[in-house]
Amino acid sequence: MDTPQALSLATLLLIPALMTAQVDRTKAPAAGPAPEVRLGEHKSFTLANGMRVIVVENHKLPMVSAQVRFDIPPVLQGDKVGYQDLVGELLTSGTNRRTKQQIDELVDGLGAQLNGGNDGLFASALKKNFPQLMDLVFEVVTSATYPPAEFEKAKTAMLTGVQARADDPDQIADVVGRALTYGKGFPYGEVVTEATLNKVTRAQVYAYYQYFFQPKIGYLVLVGDITEAEARATAEKYFAKWTGAHVPVTKDAADNDVVKDLGPIIKASAAPQATRPRQVAFVDRPGSAQSVIKAVFPVDLKPNDPMALQAQVLNTILGGGVFNARLMQNLREDKGYTYGAYSSLDADRWCGSFSAGCSVRNAVTDSAVTELLFEIGHIQEMPVTADELALAKSYMAGSFARSLEDPRTIARFALNTYLNDLPKDHYATYLKRLDTVSVASVQTAAQRFLHPDNAMVLVVGDKEQVANKLAPLSFTKSVVYYDMNGDLYREAFEMPPAGMTAQTVLDAYITAIGGKAAVEKVKDLRKEYTASMQGMTVTMTEYNAAPNKYAMEMRSGAMTLQKVVFDGTRGMASGMGGKKELVDTELQDVKEDAYAFPELHYADLDFAALLNGVVEVNGKKAYRVQVRSSGGGLFNEYYDQATGLKIRRVEAQASEEGTFQVITDFSDYKPVNGVLFPYTIRQNAGMDLTFSATAIEVNKGLPASTFTVE
Amino acid sequence: MAAITAGAQTREIKFTEFDLPNGLHVILHEDHSTPIVAVSVMYHVGSKDEAKDRRGFAHFFEHLLFEGSDNIGRGEFSKYVEKAGGVLNANTNGDRTYYYEVLPSNQVELGLWLESERMMHARVEAKGIETQREVVKEERRQRFENQPYGSILPEVLRRAYTEHPYQWPTIGFMEDLNAASEKDYQTFYKTFYVPNNAVLVLAGDIDAKKAPDLVKKYFAAIPKGGTIPRTKIVEPPMKGEVRDVVYDRIQLPAVVEAYRIPAYGTKDFYAVDMLNRLLSNGNSSRLVKNVKDAEQKAVYVGSFSLPFEQPGLAIAFAIANMGVSADTLEASMERQFALVRDTPVSAAELDKLKAQVETEFISANARMSGIAENLASAYTFLDGTKQVDTEIEQYLAVTAADLQRVAKQYFVPQNRVVLHYLPQSQKK
Repeated sequence: MDTPQALSLATLLLIPALMTAQVDRTKAPAAGPAPEVRLGEHKSFTLANGMRVIVVENHKLPMVSAQVRFDIPPVLQGDKVGYQDLVGELLTSGTNRRTKQQIDELVDGLGAQLNGGNDGLFASALKKNFPQLMDLVFEVVTSATYPPAEFEKAKTAMLTGVQARADDPDQIADVVGRALTYGKGFPYGEVVTEATLNKVTRAQVYAYYQYFFQPKIGYLVLVGDITEAEARATAEKYFAKWTGAHVPVTKDAADNDVVKDLGPIIKASAAPQATRPRQVAFVDRPGSAQSVIKAVFPVDLKPNDPMALQAQVLNTILGGGVFNARLMQNLREDKGYTYGAYSSLDADRWCGSFSAGCSVRNAVTDSAVTELLFEIGHIQEMPVTADELALAKSYMAGSFARSLEDPRTIARFALNTYLNDLPKDHYATYLKRLDTVSVASVQTAAQRFLHPDNAMVLVVGDKEQVANKLAPLSFTKSVVYYDMNGDLYREAFEMPPAGMTAQTVLDAYITAIGGKAAVEKVKDLRKEYTASMQGMTVTMTEYNAAPNKYAMEMRSGAMTLQKVVFDGTRGMASGMGGKKELVDTELQDVKEDAYAFPELHYADLDFAALLNGVVEVNGKKAYRVQVRSSGGGLFNEYYDQATGLKIRRVEAQASEEGTFQVITDFSDYKPVNGVLFPYTIRQNAGMDLTFSATAIEVNKGLPASTFTVE
Repeated sequence: MAAITAGAQTREIKFTEFDLPNGLHVILHEDHSTPIVAVSVMYHVGSKDEAKDRRGFAHFFEHLLFEGSDNIGRGEFSKYVEKAGGVLNANTNGDRTYYYEVLPSNQVELGLWLESERMMHARVEAKGIETQREVVKEERRQRFENQPYGSILPEVLRRAYTEHPYQWPTIGFMEDLNAASEKDYQTFYKTFYVPNNAVLVLAGDIDAKKAPDLVKKYFAAIPKGGTIPRTKIVEPPMKGEVRDVVYDRIQLPAVVEAYRIPAYGTKDFYAVDMLNRLLSNGNSSRLVKNVKDAEQKAVYVGSFSLPFEQPGLAIAFAIANMGVSADTLEASMERQFALVRDTPVSAAELDKLKAQVETEFISANARMSGIAENLASAYTFLDGTKQVDTEIEQYLAVTAADLQRVAKQYFVPQNRVVLHYLPQSQKK
C-alpha cells in the first residue's frame, strides 16, 4: 500500500476526548459579523502662497509628524546622475542659522526624527517636543545652505557607496533592473556611476533645491496629537509668508526652463513602452551562492486608471505579498527553489512598472526563470479561479483596514488624491469597488498590463555556473551581458605593451612550453583525460600524428560515447547516433585539432589572429588573442602575461536551443619529453567538467589504424 | 532625571492576564480604535535549546509548523488566514519562537483555532519537510551567503562563545538539518510546544470579558507538558581578546567588535543598551559624529546590543570609507570607546539619550502587532508582563556613572572579539 508518509505528532499526546467534544475542531470557526471599517477624516486648506495643508487629528499616541512634500516631476539628470540624491542627502546639513552638527544635536536631543529627501522631508516627535522640531522643519525647508564642506563629504560617501554596489547582488539587480525597465533615456532608468558623480557640483544641487522647493507646488501634512486649530496656527505661523526663492529662468530652443548652475530642466518625455522582444540580460558576479532573478517591463498604468484596482488584484494573485500567491506557491512551496518569490505591478503618474523575481540557488536558475515566465503568461491566458479572487479581495480589504491603524495612512490617502488627481471619494469607495472586481476584469487587466513576451529577464549571478542555460529563454537565443551600471558589458582591458602582437604572444607561448625545436620533435601524441560527469567517469583520449592526423575517442567504461577520426583529408564522426562523414564547418574545426600544436599553424589554417588587449583571467593578467577561423567562427584565447602559457579559451557554440559560451581553462602544466602540457582542463558550458590527465605520451608510436577513416 | 520623568509622555498599555490549568499563560489587551486583532503565541524555545548536532532546528521547526495539523491540510494554514483578510508570519531567535496572525476582529476565533491546532497536533508530511529544508537552505544563502558582510553574526558568535549554544546562529547548519529524523521532530514538539511553555496574546478589537471563554474553548483541552529543560551551560569569561580576519566578497574593509555583556533584563544590560545609543543612535551620536562624519573613516557605523536572556553581546560594526584600512578604522572607533571609559557623559548628553528612549518606547506601541509582541516578550523575559509599561524606568534610571562603569567593565579589549573583514583579493 502506498500512502504519503505522514508524521503525526498527535499520536504521542493524550487528547482527552471529553473536553474536545464541545468544539468541532475539524473545521474553521465561522466569522462573526463583519466589523465596520471607518475611514478617518482629514482636513485640508490652502495657504495664501499656494501651499496646501493636510491635517489628520489622532490623539491615540502623544506624537505629531510633519511631512513637507513638493510635487516635482521626474527630471533627467543626464551626465550628472546622482545630483538629485544629494539634494535630499544634504537637505538637513545646514541652514542659515545652524550647522549640520547643531541640527543633529537638536534632532537627537528632542528624541525626534528628521529625514530629508529630494522632494521634501519627514519629521516626527513627541507632542511636547513638536514645536521646537517645527522651527527646524521650517528652517530646513526654506533656508537650507548646502555647505560646500558637507557637499564634499556626502559626495565622497556616495562614491564609496557606488563602489560598494558591486558587492551587493540585490543592489545591482535593483539598479540594472530599473535601467532595463525604463531605459536610460527616462529619468527612472538613469544610473549613478563614479563618472556621473564626479561631474556633480554643489552649485547644481543647490540650484535644484531653490528652483523646486516652492510653496505653489508644496504640501504640508500634519498628523497625530494635534488639533485642527493648532495645525492651522502652525501652518500659518511658519509657511504662510514664505515666498520661495526667486530663481531667474530663461528658455532653451526646446522651451525647457534653463536655470543658472542647473542647466535646462528636461522633464520626462514619452513613457517607455514594453515593445522589445524578450531578452535575457546577465550581470556576472563570480562566486555567487544564488542568482538574483527579475523579469521587468514598463507598464502603461497611472494611479487614476479605471483598471488600477483590477491591476492590484491581479498582482496580489500573481505574487503581490500574499503567501498563497502563485509565484510563492510554485517557486517556494512546490519546488523549494527560493525563500520567497514576489511580483509588483506599480501604477505611477509618469510610467508604471512590473517586476517579478526571486533569489534561487545556481542549479535551478533556468528552471526558476522558466516558472516565473510561465506564471506571468499563464495568468493572461487562463482566468483566475473564483477561490483565488476571493482570497485576494479579502486580503486586500483586510490590508486596507489594517493600514488605517496608522493615522498617517489617512494623510497619505489625501496627499495621493491631490497628487494623482484621483476622484475625491477614491478611498472612501475603495472597499465597495474592490467588491465588484470580477474574474473577467482581472483577466482583462492581465492582458492589458502584462507583457511576458516583452520582458527583460535580468539575472545577477555566477556566469560560469548559470548563464549558458538561459539562452533558450531569450527570443534572440542569446544572453546579453551587462555591467553593474546597466551598460552593455565590455571586458575591462588595458592596451598591450608596445611591440606586442598576436604573433609575438603565440611565439612566446611556444617558447614557454619548451620551444619550437622541442615541439617539432613531437611526432605522435596520445593524451588521456578523465572527468566525472553526473556520477559516471568519462575518459577522453586524443591522438595526433604528424603532420595532421587526428583521432578522439570518448568512453565510459566499455561504452564508446563518441569517436572522431581525421586522416589528414577526410573526417568521420561516430557515436550512439550512428556514423557520419564530417563536412563544412565540422571538417574545418577538426583540421585545427589535427595539429598537435595548432598555435604554430594559424597561418596554414588561414586563421586571423589579433591581439586584443590585456585582461584579467582568474586574477592573472593575460593577453587576449582574438582568432577568426577560416570558417568565420570567432574565439578568444588568453595567454598568461607572466608565464606565456595559454590559460583560457572562450568560444561561442551555436545549437538549436541557443548560443552557448564554452569556457575552457588550462592549468597544471607539466613537461613530457621537454614539452609542457596542461594536466587539468576545466570546461564550462553551463556545467562544470574537470578533465585530469591520466596519461600523456609522446613518440611512443601509434598504429596506422588509429587514423583510418572507413 | 526627575525633570524628564515628570514630563515623560507615556502611554499605559492596559492588559489582563491569567493562566489556564494546563499552564498556558494568556494576555488580553482591548483596544477598539481599529477593527483588527493580533493573535500571537510565543514559545519559550530558540536555538539555544538545540542539541549540538541539531543546530538550526528551532527555526526549521518554525517553518514546519505552518504545514498543517490533524485538521488542517498542507498549505491550508496560510489560506485560512489570508482568506479571512489577515496576515501571518513567525520568527525565531536564540531564545524564543514567535507566531502571529493579524486578523479582522470578527475572525478572532479563527486565530484561536489555528494557534490551538498548531499547539495541539501539528502535522508534517514528508513533502513538507523536504520542501522546507530547501526553502531554509535558500533563506541561508539569501540572507547570509549571498550578501556582502552577511556572515558577520555567525563569524562573531562562533568566536564569542565556546561552551554556550549561542555560539551558533539561529539559521543553523544544513548538515544538521539534513540529519534530523522523525524522532527529533516528535521530541522537540513534545518537549517545547506545550502550553506551559507558551504565552498567548490577543490584542485589539476584542471583548476582554468574553475572550477568556473563547480561549478556554480552544486551548483548555491541550494537555500540559513536562518540565521544560533549560540549558545550564554558563559561558566562562573570555580569556582575552580574540582577533581574526575574515575574507569576503567585498571591496570595502569592515571592522566588527563584539563585547560580552550581561543578560537582557539586568540593570547593567540597560546601562549597556544606553551606552550603545550614546555610541550610534542618531547623527549626533559618538561613533556617527566622529568616525563617520568628522574623521570620515567610515561610510557606515552602528552598535547594538543583542537582548539575549542569557549573557549576550554588544556588537559595533563599521564599513570603511574609500581608501581607509581596517586598522585605521579600528583605531578611530577605539578612540570613542576609550573616551566613554575615561570621561563621564554630560548631563545634556544623558538627557538626549532619555529623550530618544522615550520616543522609541511610545512608537513601539503604535500598532496591535507591536503591542502583542511587546506583551509576550515582557511576560517571557522580564519581571512580569507589567514591564511593558515600566521597562522604560530602568532606562531612565541609568546614570552617567553607570555608563562609565559599564564602559570600563565590558567595553574593554580583553572582553571582546575583533574581526577585520577584508576583500578576498587581499588574501595571502
